[in-house]
Amino acid sequence: MNTHAAALPAQEQAQGQTRPTRRLRWNRQALTRFALSWPFPLALLLLWTLAAEFEWLPPQILPPPSMVLATFLDLVRSGELADNLWISLWRVLVGFAIGAAAGLVLGIAMGLSPRVRDYLYPSFRLVAQVPSVGWLPLLMMLVGIGEALKIILIAKAAGMPIALNTYKGLEGVPTRFIEVARVYGFTRWQLLRRVVLPAALPQIWNGIRYGLTHAWLALVAVELLASSEGLGFLIVYGRQLYQLDVVMAAVVVVGAFGYALDKLLAVIETRLLRWRRDAF
Amino acid sequence: MTIFMNADERRRLVRGATLPALLLAWWWAMFHFHWTDTVMFVPIDKVWETAMRMSGSGQLWLSLGASLARDLAGFTLGSLAGLAAGTALGLSRLLESLVGPTLHTVKQISLFAWIPLISVWFGLGDTAKVVFLSLAAFFPVLLNTFEGIRGVPRELVEVARAFAFTRTQMLRRVVLPAALPSIFTGVHLALIYAWLATLGAEYLLTSGIGIGNLLTDGREHLWMDQVLLGVAVVGLVGFTLNLVAGALERRLLRWRGPSAGQY
Amino acid sequence: MAHAGTLEIRQLSKQYRVKGSTLPVLDNISLSIRPGEFISIVGSSGCGKSTLLRLVIGLENEYQGEILLDGKRIVGTSLERGIVFQEHRLFPWLTVAQNVSLGLLNAGLPEAAKARSVQEHIELVGLKGFESAYPYQLSGGMSQRVAIARALVNRPEVLLLDEPFGALDALTRNHLQQELQRIWEQEGITAILVTHDVDEAVYLGDRVVIMEPRPGRIKRIVDVDLPRPRDRGSFAFAGIKDDVLAEFSDQPPARLVQPAPPSGFADWQFSW
Repeated sequence: MNTHAAALPAQEQAQGQTRPTRRLRWNRQALTRFALSWPFPLALLLLWTLAAEFEWLPPQILPPPSMVLATFLDLVRSGELADNLWISLWRVLVGFAIGAAAGLVLGIAMGLSPRVRDYLYPSFRLVAQVPSVGWLPLLMMLVGIGEALKIILIAKAAGMPIALNTYKGLEGVPTRFIEVARVYGFTRWQLLRRVVLPAALPQIWNGIRYGLTHAWLALVAVELLASSEGLGFLIVYGRQLYQLDVVMAAVVVVGAFGYALDKLLAVIETRLLRWRRDAF
Repeated sequence: MTIFMNADERRRLVRGATLPALLLAWWWAMFHFHWTDTVMFVPIDKVWETAMRMSGSGQLWLSLGASLARDLAGFTLGSLAGLAAGTALGLSRLLESLVGPTLHTVKQISLFAWIPLISVWFGLGDTAKVVFLSLAAFFPVLLNTFEGIRGVPRELVEVARAFAFTRTQMLRRVVLPAALPSIFTGVHLALIYAWLATLGAEYLLTSGIGIGNLLTDGREHLWMDQVLLGVAVVGLVGFTLNLVAGALERRLLRWRGPSAGQY
Repeated sequence: MAHAGTLEIRQLSKQYRVKGSTLPVLDNISLSIRPGEFISIVGSSGCGKSTLLRLVIGLENEYQGEILLDGKRIVGTSLERGIVFQEHRLFPWLTVAQNVSLGLLNAGLPEAAKARSVQEHIELVGLKGFESAYPYQLSGGMSQRVAIARALVNRPEVLLLDEPFGALDALTRNHLQQELQRIWEQEGITAILVTHDVDEAVYLGDRVVIMEPRPGRIKRIVDVDLPRPRDRGSFAFAGIKDDVLAEFSDQPPARLVQPAPPSGFADWQFSW
């Protein structure tokens, strides 16, 4: 007696109707969300303007938004913003590049070779216990306060999460994929290129994004403390002179460029990881 | 000791200890054989000496206590605020549309950039530091709580509806427990960020005492032993916080078992 | 013994609005279910059988027509109607006992009575000893049994089951069908089972409601007048099963011929 259930034949679904209506709904939804996102910040802006107008707080503590905007445009026109921005960006990019390269190499070495991992991972974890900011005074003593300090710190800040995530990503490749590769007689190189790296890529890219965030964090920290140029310096300079409009303008630029760089990485991620079907 | 480990673990221990051992040996040799003259290289025992001295005088403990107190205060405030905000935004789509984009934009500003503004508005003392630390803890908790609440499986909510749960019951017995793993990730991140923000705040908002101040002090006077001691303490605190967070997570999320994910 | 409810579904219709056009899901469903009866509903995907269940349980509320339990119109969800879903939907952070007691959360009983009921129902589904286990420690079949206990613990008048064994392997499915049969007889409540497995439908149901899709309509109701527990291998069972299956295929049913019993010696002659 067979126990196979007598199931009913499945019937195809009608497809046609849902497609155009779905696109329309997406547009309306996005538009609504966009519209709704404005009242709150505009209300804050209004509150801010009123507070500055009626001097609820002295202008050194709360400059009116109009002044911040004027200062911002001034800085742009005089080239001061561009100069400092360029210096900061250069530092971040160079530091990040060095850190990412070192982090990837270290992460791959630890991920692929158990021997390397045994020798290096404990020391790596030891160093990782101290946040980058914690190393700053020591580094300052060792290399002074020149460019080297900034690049080294940014590189370290970026490299740590990248190394860690790369290592974990490679380590965490599901064994079942590796088994398939073995069954089909993949060479080591094929295994690496076609199975391990693609499977580890989401986590590696995650590490890279974290690395950039931490690089920015380190940049701002070191420029606030030990720099005579750059966005961080601009902030400190404005603060010393109680010119909060300068401070705010610089803070906005820090935020904007931090966002832009992260967004760039996110876009690259969607192209690289097109095969991933995210739930949301 | 070695009877507790098999051959594999023993080998791994030896390998792991190689690099630090070499480093220590080199350090010792540097000083012992006078390979360098700079004031930078203090012998290892000097660091230990300084540690004992500062511990005995109480300076070490006072600084550590001050840093930790601020850290805890800011972390708690920021986490609670983040939890409340994340829950509110997670439950109400309207609220999220109104306030979400603004929060998301503000989040982009790198943490330390806030310090100068905070220093103008709140001074250089403890208040300013705690405000800054709360900010540092706020965003990770907000984001992860939001994700956790949005990610509650609809299937479980339907079960609760079938059993006529009230809104409070739904929140307390379904939504929050289901969101707890995510919330915990956020809290763990907040712990990490709050600690590094504590240090940064002490460098930049210099009034008061703390481990960060010890480090800055040591650097300014070129007291390498104090700086190294500070670094070690920072590392130990970070390590302990991670340990505690991990243990707490394992205990609270015991129900997840070895692999998470099915309902 | 739970009180078995009488369920009346009168001219039930439902549509889904999909931006601009209306998609009819159920069309004029009428069904009278006697107290203590076991109804199986079969249909292929898209015939609205799950939607029908969701309307009866109260998870969906917009419809035309009437759904009456014991003569009263149903409003939203209530503890008088219980449901078992296709996924077990146990709360992973609660133990088996805690999951089952969820059904009693709003039942207004004293704690001692609740604990007793929980224990009784865990034993009813055959999971005695697993009270403190977490869902991740249970197999699929065991989890589904907990879900059944949870649905029964507050003694609902009607138990709805939405393809409860669809996610399980064939052996477990078979076993649980027998278990469900036993539990239903013991509790004596009204039950409605939705499934796409005809074998299961005929094995468990007093009547088999056959639905056809787009829009969901009742095509035919077949009585299963066989003694319980049913013998899946019997000729009568196969006959009813074929009858139901025939509604879903284009071909005429194969005519089962029951051979006449042997009467004379000549018939036995070549029986080896």
